Amino acid sequence: MDNGDSGGNQQNKPAETKSPYSMPGILHFIQHEWSRFEMERAQWDVERAELQARIAFLQGERKGQENLKRDLIRRIKMLEFALKQESDRAKVHKLKFGTDISMEQKHNETNEESKTNEMQTTNAHMSWRHGRQLLRQYLQEVGYSETILDVRSQRVRALLGNNYEVPKPTENDNQVVNGDLSDEEDDFDEVDGFGDAEMALAEFDFLNPPDSEPDDMKLDWSVDQNKLNAMKEQFRQEKRQTKKKELKRKWTRPIKKDLQNMLDTLRGSELNRATEDVDIHIPDEELLGVFIGYTNFSCQNIIFNMLCLKTMDHDWFLTQDSTPTKESYRKTWNPKYTLRSHFDGIRAIRFLPNESSVITASEDHTMKLWNLNKPLPSKKTQALDVEPIYSFRGHSGAVLSLEIDTEGSSCFSGGLDSTVRVWSIPSVEIDAYDTYDPSVSQKILVGHTDAVWSLSYSGTRQQLLSASSDCSVRLWNPTSADPLVQTYTTDGTPTSVCFVHCDSNHVVVSHTDGKVNLYDLETGQISLVLTEGDGIISSGSINCVVSHPTMPVTMTAHDDKHIKFYDNTSDTGKLIHSMVAHLDSVTSLSVDPNGLYLLSGSHDSSIRLWNLDSKTCIQELTSHRKKFDESIYSVAFHPSATYIASAGADALAKVFV
Amino acid sequence: MVSSGSAMDPEQVVRRNPPGTKAEDFYKWSPQSFDEMDSTLAVQQYIQQTIRQDFTDTETILTAPPGQDEGVWKYEQLRQFCLELNGLAIKLQAECTPMTCSQMTATEQWIFLCAAHKTPKECPAIDYTRHTLDGAACLLNSNKYFPSRVSIKDSSVAKLGSVCRRVYRIFSHAYYHHRHIFD
Repeated sequence: MDNGDSGGNQQNKPAETKSPYSMPGILHFIQHEWSRFEMERAQWDVERAELQARIAFLQGERKGQENLKRDLIRRIKMLEFALKQESDRAKVHKLKFGTDISMEQKHNETNEESKTNEMQTTNAHMSWRHGRQLLRQYLQEVGYSETILDVRSQRVRALLGNNYEVPKPTENDNQVVNGDLSDEEDDFDEVDGFGDAEMALAEFDFLNPPDSEPDDMKLDWSVDQNKLNAMKEQFRQEKRQTKKKELKRKWTRPIKKDLQNMLDTLRGSELNRATEDVDIHIPDEELLGVFIGYTNFSCQNIIFNMLCLKTMDHDWFLTQDSTPTKESYRKTWNPKYTLRSHFDGIRAIRFLPNESSVITASEDHTMKLWNLNKPLPSKKTQALDVEPIYSFRGHSGAVLSLEIDTEGSSCFSGGLDSTVRVWSIPSVEIDAYDTYDPSVSQKILVGHTDAVWSLSYSGTRQQLLSASSDCSVRLWNPTSADPLVQTYTTDGTPTSVCFVHCDSNHVVVSHTDGKVNLYDLETGQISLVLTEGDGIISSGSINCVVSHPTMPVTMTAHDDKHIKFYDNTSDTGKLIHSMVAHLDSVTSLSVDPNGLYLLSGSHDSSIRLWNLDSKTCIQELTSHRKKFDESIYSVAFHPSATYIASAGADALAKVFV
Repeated sequence: MVSSGSAMDPEQVVRRNPPGTKAEDFYKWSPQSFDEMDSTLAVQQYIQQTIRQDFTDTETILTAPPGQDEGVWKYEQLRQFCLELNGLAIKLQAECTPMTCSQMTATEQWIFLCAAHKTPKECPAIDYTRHTLDGAACLLNSNKYFPSRVSIKDSSVAKLGSVCRRVYRIFSHAYYHHRHIFD
C-alpha cells in the first residue's frame, strides 16, 4: 500500500515541499503507532489477566487461612472444656486412690502447661467411658456423624497410599501405636484438635524412641512421650469401643493387649511398675493439656500422622499377626493392555526379560513382538491397545510353544510342523514397517517328527529342551553348529517340560497320562517319579508343569481341574498339596520370579493368582472368550517388572498391571 | 482331540487340542453345525471347520450359512484368508529379496505403493508383502474399525475392499515373478 501510495503521490510530492511530512510517511507513521498501541493493549490484557488470577488465588488462600483459624479456635475451646471436665473427674479419683496418682502427678508438674489437675488411676473403664462420651459429644456438637468420619479416614488412607514409604523397623512399634491412634484421629480430625495433638505426640516418639526412665521424667519431652503413648492407647481403645460395630476394623481384645505390650516395652521401668490399667489411664486432662500445648504443630504433623496412619494400615489391617506385606503384589491386578493382531488363538506368551515387551505365538503360524511402551492412543482408560512391532514368519503350521533366553536377545519357537526355530529378537524400538531383515530367523532345529508342544530354556546351561508328541524330549544347544545334544524318549506322550531351577541337571516332564517324571540329563534316565504318594496316578492329562524358582517343588496343572504340588527331594517324590483350582481343566501355570505367587489359567476363561505360602487364591480375573471349548492357553509373569499376561483362543493377549 | 470322556458320554465331545496332541490329530473332532456353535467366534470356527473338511471345495467354504450377516461373513473370510496367505509369504520370504524384486510389480505397467506407511512408499516386493499382511492384521483386528466380531459397522465394510485389493496384489506378484511358488 505504501508503494502504491508513493507511486500515486509522486506528483504530489514536489507540491508539498513546504511541509516536512509526506503522505506515505504519515501513513506509515500512523500504521506504526497503531500497531504499537495494539501490542501494548495486548500486553495490558495479559497483565490484567495475570493479576486477576493472582487476586483470585490470594483470595482463595485467605479463605483457607480463615477456615483454618476458625477450626483451630474451635479445637482450643473444646480442649479447654474437656480439660476442665477431666480435672473435675481426676479430683474425684484422687480422693479414692491417692498413691497411684502421685507418680504421674510429678510428671504433671513438669509439663509445659500448668496441669494442676491430678492423674487418674486404676479405674480404667470409668475414664474410658467418660472420654468416649466426651468425644461423642464433641462430634455431635459439630454435627459429624460416624459415617462421615469413616469416609474421611478411608479417603485419607487412599490418598496416602502412593506416598507412603515403609519406616525403619525400630520405629515400628511406635508407629504402630501412632498410626493406630492417628487412624482414630483422622476420623475426628477436623472435629477436635486431638488430631493435631496426636501428631505432635507422634513426632515426639521419633525424638525419643525407647527411653522412658522415670528419673528422666524431668525432661518435658520424655514425660510427654510416656503420656503420649498412654493417651494414644486410651484413644485407640475408646475409638475401638465406638467402632465396635464396624467389624471391618478388626480390632479385637487381643490386639489391644499387643499394643499395650508394645507400649510397655517402649516405656520401660515406669510402666513395668504400674499396672496395665494405670498405663492406660493417663489422665485425660493431662493429655488434653499437652494437646493444647501443641495444637500449633498441625501442618507438618499432619503429614507425619498420615505416614503413621499408612504404616498402621499395612501393619494392622492387612496383616494382623503375620509379617509385613511385600508391597509388590499386594494389590489387585487390572487389565491394562490388549494385544490384538493375531488371526487365530494365541498358544504361548512370554515377556522379554529387560523390557516392557512380549512375544506371542499363535496358531496363525506367526509370532509377534509387541512393545508395551507404545500403546495406541485411546480415549477409553480401561485397556490400551497395542500394535505389534514385528511378525516372525517362518513356521508352516501353528506355533505351539515359545521360550525366550535369559538376555532377551533370541527366542525359540516350536510348532505343529515339528520344527524348532531360533530367532534373534529385533530391538523393541524398530519401526513396525521396516525393511525385511532375513537374519532374524537364525536357525531351524530339525529333529522332531511331530508337533513340538513345549520348550524350556535353561540360562545356566544355555540349552533348550523341547518336548514333542512323538514321545521324545530333545536337548539342543542353539548356538553351536550341531545343535542337537541329546534325545530322550519318554514313556508316554509328553505335554510339558521344565528345567528344575534349583538343579539344572534335572528336568521335569509331564505326560498325557498324568505321569510326572524327573529326568537326569546326564544319564537320560528317570531319576524320580512324582506320584501322589500311595500309588495313585492321576488319570487326567497334565497340561503344564513348572518348577519353583527357589524351592525343590514342582507344580502341575491337570485336566481334572487340580493343581498339584510335588516335592522333588524325597525319594518318592511325594505330593505336598493338591487343590481344586478352577472350574475346568487348568491349562497353564506360571511362577513369579520371587517364588511367592502362582498364576494359573484355565479353559473356564479365568486366571487365578495364588499365594504359594497359604495356597489360597488372592485374585481371579476373567478374560478371553471361548473358541471351540478352549479359552486360555498360556499365562506368564514378567521376570522383573510387575506385569502378568494371558493368552487366549480368541486371538487376544492381555497384559495386567 | 476327542476326550476320553466321550466314550462314556457320547454327546459330550470336547473340542480341544491340548498339549501332547499329535499333528495328525489336530482338530480331529466331529464337525458341529453352525447353529450349534454358541461362541462369539462361531463364524471363524465354522469357516475353519469347512476348510478342514475339504479345502478344495471353495463353493461350500464361501457360502454363508443362512441368516448370517454379510459383513461379518466377509470379515471372517478375510481373516482366514490372511491367515493362510502367511504360508505364501513364508515361501516368498525365501526367494523374494530386495535384490531380486526391488519394486512391487505384477505386470510391467503398474508399480504398487505400500500403504502401510504414513506416505505411500515404494517398498521392495518382500517388504510390501510383509507390510501388507501386517497392516491387514492390524486393521482387521483394530478396535477402531472392527470392535466386535459379530457385527460390523457399515463404514468399516469399505475397508474390507481395500484390504482385499492389496492382498490380491501379493498374489499377482507371486504369479508373475515367482510362478513356481504360486503353483
